[in-house]
Amino acid sequence: MNARKPRRHRVASSQVGLMLLMVAGVFAVLSPRFLTPGNLLNVCTSASVVAIVGLGMTLAIASGNFDLSVGSTAAFAGCVTVSLVQQIGVALAILAGLATGAAVGLINGLIVTELGVPAFIATLGMLTIVRGAALIYTGGRDIYLYGQTQYKILSSGLTPVLLALALAFVLWFVLQHTRFGRHILATGSNAMSARRVGVRTSLVLLGVFSIVGATAALSGLILSAQVLTGNGRLATGLELSAIAVVVLGGTPLTGGQASIAGTLQGSVLVAVINNGLNLLNVSIFYQNVTLGLLLLGTIALEALRTDRRRTKQLTTR
Amino acid sequence: MDEIQRVPILAVQNLSRRFPGVLALDNVSFDILAGEVHALVGENGAGKSTLIGILAGVYQPSAGQVLLDQKPALFPDPLSSQRAGISVIFQEFSLLPHLSVAENVFISREPRRGLTVDWATMNRQTQEILRTLNVEIDPATLVSELAVGQQQLVEIARALSAKTRIIVMDEPTAALNEREAVRLLEIVRSLAAGGVSVLYVSHRLEEVFSIADRITVLRDGRHIVTEGRSAITEQRVVSAMVGRELVHSTRPSRTAGAIVLETKDVTVDGGLVRNVSFSLRRGEVLGLAGLMGSGCSELMEGLYGLREITAGSFLIEDRPVRIANPRSAILTGVGLVPEDRKRQSVFPDLSVAHNLTIGNLPRWFRAFPGLLDLAGERRKTLDYKRQLNIRFTRPEQRISGLSGGNQQKVILARALAGNCRLLLLAEPTRGIDVGAKAEIYALIDRLVQKGIAVILQTSELPELIRLADRCIVFVAGEPRGELCGAEITQEAVMSLATGLSHRVTVDSASLRSIQ
Repeated sequence: MNARKPRRHRVASSQVGLMLLMVAGVFAVLSPRFLTPGNLLNVCTSASVVAIVGLGMTLAIASGNFDLSVGSTAAFAGCVTVSLVQQIGVALAILAGLATGAAVGLINGLIVTELGVPAFIATLGMLTIVRGAALIYTGGRDIYLYGQTQYKILSSGLTPVLLALALAFVLWFVLQHTRFGRHILATGSNAMSARRVGVRTSLVLLGVFSIVGATAALSGLILSAQVLTGNGRLATGLELSAIAVVVLGGTPLTGGQASIAGTLQGSVLVAVINNGLNLLNVSIFYQNVTLGLLLLGTIALEALRTDRRRTKQLTTR
Repeated sequence: MDEIQRVPILAVQNLSRRFPGVLALDNVSFDILAGEVHALVGENGAGKSTLIGILAGVYQPSAGQVLLDQKPALFPDPLSSQRAGISVIFQEFSLLPHLSVAENVFISREPRRGLTVDWATMNRQTQEILRTLNVEIDPATLVSELAVGQQQLVEIARALSAKTRIIVMDEPTAALNEREAVRLLEIVRSLAAGGVSVLYVSHRLEEVFSIADRITVLRDGRHIVTEGRSAITEQRVVSAMVGRELVHSTRPSRTAGAIVLETKDVTVDGGLVRNVSFSLRRGEVLGLAGLMGSGCSELMEGLYGLREITAGSFLIEDRPVRIANPRSAILTGVGLVPEDRKRQSVFPDLSVAHNLTIGNLPRWFRAFPGLLDLAGERRKTLDYKRQLNIRFTRPEQRISGLSGGNQQKVILARALAGNCRLLLLAEPTRGIDVGAKAEIYALIDRLVQKGIAVILQTSELPELIRLADRCIVFVAGEPRGELCGAEITQEAVMSLATGLSHRVTVDSASLRSIQ
């Protein structure tokens, strides 16, 4: 019982790891194309896109919040960057996109901390506002980038994977080794106590929401670089996959805990399942159903385990 | 007590219950008489909950038996225990908040007319039961609209409606305010007078001594003693509970040093607390006492920057300070052990080490305050573990696995780690075992001896007397009087707090009502 926290995470993430191996094994047997290098790169790229925003979401959930606006933010940031590449160059355009995302996150944070709106409502409102803003910005049309091979680098080869791994390392370091990270966990575990020990919880949340916004933007940029297009309808539903991979990875929705490695594994699991089902020509509708079932199954298992642990605690009293 | 009442209605004989790795109950025997209030006391882990569980049909005994009316009885499930006339009122109520009082009282036993529920009868019968309890609650009210104390009465009403002969109450006053608690004790007495037996499980000894006919003490799963109330002293119950005589029952003599804190005409939150002027020296404990709502908690919160100080001045070591929020309080050397451990101080998901250092995180480099020195953190945690005798296995262990007393020591260590000169203690031993309580008192003594100044806000008069060198009594937001040293007695504090100049008799019920 002493090692409850670490053990729980190990169980949860090893569970995801195990599932991952099993699922991958099944697909490898069923589809000869699954294990080809090209396909594996596809899997890694799509896993990375979800992982990047999922990592931001991990922080949000650890702080006791979450962000439903990440899909819209991704689309908006993608449009901003794509529209600016011609004028200010790739590097500055990417920075502008990330800044857009961080700004949206900051607004989310301000609505939560200053107006006292619960994160669910605040970010649900922003989900539609930002999606609308993206469509207004593009006039509802796609913005194409012809011949911008430089921008394509963001989504080609191992770039997305390296970005995801680098981000995972940075956020892991923040959580484990910095005061800010400790304050995030404290705020998520018990905000009232956090204020009493001098944690400026509002500042912490502003920081967290800004980071989530920036990670959403980065995911959006990769998606837009894949198609070299700015599209206001990009990344619809990304918020749900982002939350799903965090939860699959063993980070509890109640706050105060975070599993960065779990989120990475969760992202790969979801990507593998989608990819495998694609290879087997299963329709996208069934893929949605599968993802939903997977999420429900994991949560139900976790609930059962918590329940059993609670009974055990009762009986050892 | 006549002969008929002397018959035990319920007895446990050589009852044992083994859980993997623990013998939670070890050969326990005692009995409960008809119409008796029988108190069951013991520290956490003494086996009270297990015993309740067996009576409620939640657990099965590993050995021994339960006798009901002197005949062996088996409770394989909660329903059979209820059918046998035993009602258990757990700390966490089992009421359904969105149903009415009457629906809760008669749940699964609704009076019927044909296929439908006979609402009129149900409401009338509920009303009658509530009236026997002397309670004015409309049976049609939703339970969610009731105060905690009233909800508990609904639980009792439900027990009575089921023709219960034995009511088991687990820490019934834990969630109640003073008035509700006094009321509950009255009701327990009247239940017993009406022939219902009550097994009253509590660790609040004042309550136990005011209400119980007999007292049974468990320790480490074993039965230690069962005695009539008049045949046993509080001191003996305490030592039976902890297994040793508790030392340090008196306040040590202290020598106060230089003035640490001086307040002049302080007003909190525009008048919640007014005209507070006092000074506090190093190595001194100042007590704050008063009835509920007298302003002591608010003053403490004001001193820590959780409420606004709207007038008056505030000097720490002769320098005027403004404490606008907890951060500035910590920076000026003020530490707080909050009143409500669960809500206001513990981070349940974090480790012991993280809980301990959160107010003052160790830096890796001086120049970069953002980077943490994890090895230093571990060292610091182990240091405090030794100093304060905190019992845990590893610093990485989650704090929620620790006992209340050990959690509180971690919180105390947290306040100390901020290098505070002034320590604010709000209800420092609330919900803590007697054994851990004595340790925490000794700890406070040691800190004070080292020169820390302490302000203590407590609702337990014995605690006030044990710890405080001086004590300010508040009435309705204003200081009413100050008592020094031996002047601090229960009678003196009570008469100031209630505004009576004459000597009042302090019974245990009104004791609780001291804030």
